This record gives sequence, structure tokens and C-alpha cells, in this order.
Amino acid sequence: MGGMDDIRVTVRLFASLRDAAGTDRVELRLPGATPVGAVWSHLPEPVRAAGLPEGVRYALNHAWTLPGAPLRDGDEVALVLPVSGG
Amino acid sequence: MIALTHRPLELAGLLAAVGDADHGGTAAFLGTTRREGHVRPVEAIDYEAYEELALAELRAIAAEAGDRFGARVAAVHRVGRVDVGEPSVAVAASAPHRAAAFAACRWAIDELKERVPIWKRVVYADGGDEWLDGLREPAEDPAPAAAPRAGADV
Repeated sequence: MGGMDDIRVTVRLFASLRDAAGTDRVELRLPGATPVGAVWSHLPEPVRAAGLPEGVRYALNHAWTLPGAPLRDGDEVALVLPVSGG
Repeated sequence: MIALTHRPLELAGLLAAVGDADHGGTAAFLGTTRREGHVRPVEAIDYEAYEELALAELRAIAAEAGDRFGARVAAVHRVGRVDVGEPSVAVAASAPHRAAAFAACRWAIDELKERVPIWKRVVYADGGDEWLDGLREPAEDPAPAAAPRAGADV
């Protein structure tokens, strides 16, 4: 698999997802214009073991974005789980 | 002043940062890691931030507080381990009058808890730990379902 139009993106992981992955970032090769929300299904199985939590949000290059936003080569996506700061 | 830090929080720096000769009122809030009762005492909270976006959101909150309340807001959040009894977050707000200073401070800490990408890992005195990030419900948590979640303050 993989084609000429593939893009490389970095996925940032935090908290439980980072623990599950054993790393805080995962590099993925995806078809061009893959939507942000589809990144989840490409992550390694151990990261997905607990299922995608309700209320997850996405950031693209350090700004909030929507799941439908198309990815471009070199993008950095973050899966932002429900926050608990304070 | 907007920051994430591994060091103990110092309120003096925040108060100085919101100092303004036209502002007659300053309110400050400290959120402190709680022991959280006797069922399963908490030993510490380990905070993790998505630093780039957390700082951007904190700056946005400070800017919005300026628009809404005419306030200057400073906020610092700890990252890493914060032992029980230590502050994990500090917010200061100054405004021309006290009502706006109180309101801005309250609003800013509420917004911070709602939208700044920072997560708690609660470390229990019994050696267990759990992330509070919505990924899995703590089925092993012996606390009653209605009990407030472990954490600083609220």
C-alpha cells in the first residue's frame, strides 16, 4: 500500500493515549487529504484498545480544528482527550 | 504572565504581572492538590500538558478576560508531579474595581478547567494511579459514583 500522493503526518498523544502508545508521537503515512478524524483508525492497535473516548477534540498544528479538516504533508495532529487541568 | 512550570508556584510574580496603576482591585486564586477524603487518599497529581496549545489557550483566556471584564489576567499551571497540599494552578486578575477583578478571576479559572489541554494523573497513596482524561471509566475506583473527582480545588 501507499502511493505517490501519500502524506506524512505526526500524531501527538497525551495522557492515557501516550501511555498506551509508549511514545508521545506517532508518524503516519496516509493518503493525501485524509481527514483529521480518520487518524484514529490508523494508530497502532494498543493505542486504540480502549476505544475512542467521547468528547475527544482535535488540534492541527497547535490550533483547534474539526474532524473533517483535510491533512497535508508535514502536518501535526493532536488527539485532545477531555481535559482535567486545574 | 502566562506559563507552565515544573517549579512551585509563586503568587507574587502573578500579582506583579497584573499590576496596573488604573486598576484598583486584584483577585487571586490558587488551586491546590487535595488529599480527597479517606476512601482512597491521594498522594500527588501528575500533570501533563499539550504545551503549545495550552499556552495558546491560556493567552486566549487572558485576552478574552480583557474584553469581557476590562481585566488583566495572569495564569500559571504546574506540570509534572504536584504533591498533596501544593498549589497546582494560580490565576490573578486585576481590574478598575473589585467586582470585575473577582469576576474575571473566577471566569478565567473556570475557562482554564474547561478548555486548556492539561490532564491529571492521580497518584494514590495505595500506589495506584489513573488518568482523568475520559479514556476509560475508573471501574476499579471504590469511591461512590456521586463523589467529586480527585483533583485540585473544584
